[in-house]
Amino acid sequence: MHAASTLVNREPDQLIAWAQAGPLSVTQFTRAVRHAAEQLHDRKFVFNLYANPVDYLLGFCASTLAGQCTLMPPNRLQKTLDDIRSDYPDSYFLGPEGSGGLDIRDCLTGADEPGIGGLDLPPIPDTQLTAIAFTSGSTGSPSPNLKYWRTLREGTLSNVAMMLRGIEGPVNMVSTVPPQHMWGLENSVLLPLFSDTSIAYQSPFYPQDLKDALQSFPAPRVLVSTPVHLATIAGSGLDFEPVKRVLCATAPLSLSLATAVESLFGGELLEVFGCTESGIIASRFRTREEEWTLADAFSLDVHSGHSIISAAHLPDEVRLQDIVEKTADQRFRWLGRHQDLVNIAGKRGSLVDLNRRLESIPGVVDGVMFFPTDEHKRLAALVVAPELGPADIREALRRQVEPAFLPRPIVKVDHLPRSATGKLTRKALLDLFERVKPGAGALP
Amino acid sequence: MSSQTEQESELAQLIVESLNLEDVEAGDIEPEALLFGDGLGLDSIDALEIALAISQKYGVQLKSEDEHMKETFRTLRSLNEFIQTNSTLARA
Repeated sequence: MHAASTLVNREPDQLIAWAQAGPLSVTQFTRAVRHAAEQLHDRKFVFNLYANPVDYLLGFCASTLAGQCTLMPPNRLQKTLDDIRSDYPDSYFLGPEGSGGLDIRDCLTGADEPGIGGLDLPPIPDTQLTAIAFTSGSTGSPSPNLKYWRTLREGTLSNVAMMLRGIEGPVNMVSTVPPQHMWGLENSVLLPLFSDTSIAYQSPFYPQDLKDALQSFPAPRVLVSTPVHLATIAGSGLDFEPVKRVLCATAPLSLSLATAVESLFGGELLEVFGCTESGIIASRFRTREEEWTLADAFSLDVHSGHSIISAAHLPDEVRLQDIVEKTADQRFRWLGRHQDLVNIAGKRGSLVDLNRRLESIPGVVDGVMFFPTDEHKRLAALVVAPELGPADIREALRRQVEPAFLPRPIVKVDHLPRSATGKLTRKALLDLFERVKPGAGALP
Repeated sequence: MSSQTEQESELAQLIVESLNLEDVEAGDIEPEALLFGDGLGLDSIDALEIALAISQKYGVQLKSEDEHMKETFRTLRSLNEFIQTNSTLARA
C-alpha cells in the first residue's frame, strides 16, 4: 500500500515553461530539477521565496524530490516568516540573490548538459508531506493546512479536467497570482506538472505588465487572475493579445466585470471556487451560468446549514465557510458566506474578531466593521468614539490586525442604529453609511 | 517641508478620492513623504487602484518591470514627475 507516482507527468519534448532565457522543455527542466535537488540544504522544511513562477517551480520540484516540505506563508511580512520559522526550526530559504536564500536558478541554464537522467526521476510517495499552506486569521496568526502528495496530484488532475477542458493543443499560461499563494500554486506550479501547460516567467502586476507578457508567448493563452486585478485590467484602456480562457478565483466576481473581461480578451471567463482546505472544487462560466458545477472528484453534503466537501484524495472532510444550496447532482448555488467571515486579497478573517478588537480600543464606545459595497474590496467602519479621531483608531488597529483588514473609511458617528435587542442590520448600517460617508455632504 | 505644486495637488486629490482616504487631506500629503509603508501606509491593492486612476486621467500606464518603478511610486513628487514625463493627456 505504498503508492508512489512521478513528479513530472509529461512527455519529454513538450514545453513546460517560457523561462526568461527562452522556452524550456520537460527534459531540460527535469535535468535541472535533479541537479538542483542535489544542492539543497539538508533540512525538512523550505520557504520558497522566488517570485518568478519558473524559478518557484524549479525550487518546488527540487524540494519535493528531496523529500522536503514547502512552507507557504500567507504573506511576506517579516513577522509572519519569523512566526512560522519558530514553529518549524528545521527549515531554510530558497530565493534569488539578495533574498538571503539559497539560489538554485543556475541549474536552469546548465540544463542542456548531457549525462544526467532527465525524466527518470524517482517517484514521490502518496503520503509525502509536500506543502503546508498557512491561512492567516484576521490577527495574522497563521494556521497550517497539510498537503500530501496524493492530495496535490489528484486535486491537480481534477483541476486539469475542469479548468483546461476544451482547449486544444499546448496551453500557454500567465498568472497575476504569486506562486506562493495557494491559488497561484494550484495553477502556475501544479498544472505544468500534470498537463501540457507551459508557465510564463512573468508575474504581471500592472495592466501594462500583462500586455507585455501576453505578447511574449503564442496562443492558446490562459490567464490566471483575481477580481481585483481583472478590474484594473478591464479599466486600463489597453488592448491585449487574445486569451482563450481567463481563470478567476479568491473573491466574488461581478457579472459586469466578467462580461467586460470576455469582450476584452475574446475568450471565456471561468470562475473557480475553492478554499485552502479543500483545494479547487467547482467552477462556472460566469457570463452564462448561475449555478456551480462540482468537479467529479468531490461530493457535497448539505445538512443543518453546513456544507461538507469530501473526496478520496482529501485526508479529511472539509466544512465550507460558505452557505450553498444543492440544486442537482454535482450542482449548487452559492448563497453567501457565513456572516462572520471576510476574505480580502486572499486573506481570511473573522468579523466578530475584528469588531472585538475595534471595540476594545480605549476610547471606543461602540463600533462596527462591514463591507459597504458588493465587491468586498475594503471594509469600512462606523465608530462611536467622542475623544478619538479616525487616525487614532486606525493607528490602534494597525498594531493588531493585518493591513488588508484595516477599514477605510473610518467614520465617526453619534451612535449606531442598533435595534432594541442590540442587533445591527446590514440595511440600517448601509443607510447610515450613505448619509455620513465622506463626500455625502450632509454630515451630522 | 516643501509645498505641493499645482500638478502635485491635482494628483494628491486623485489619490485621496480614488482610495477613500477620508482622514487625509489632499493638501496635507507631503510631496517628499513615502506613499507606502511607514508613510501614508498604502498597500498593493492601493497601488492597483492608483494605477487605474492614473491610466484613466493621464493616459499613463505603470509597469513593474521598469527598474525605476519603485522609485517612481516612492513619493507624490516622484510619481508626478513620472506622469508628467510620460503623459499624452496631461497639459504642461
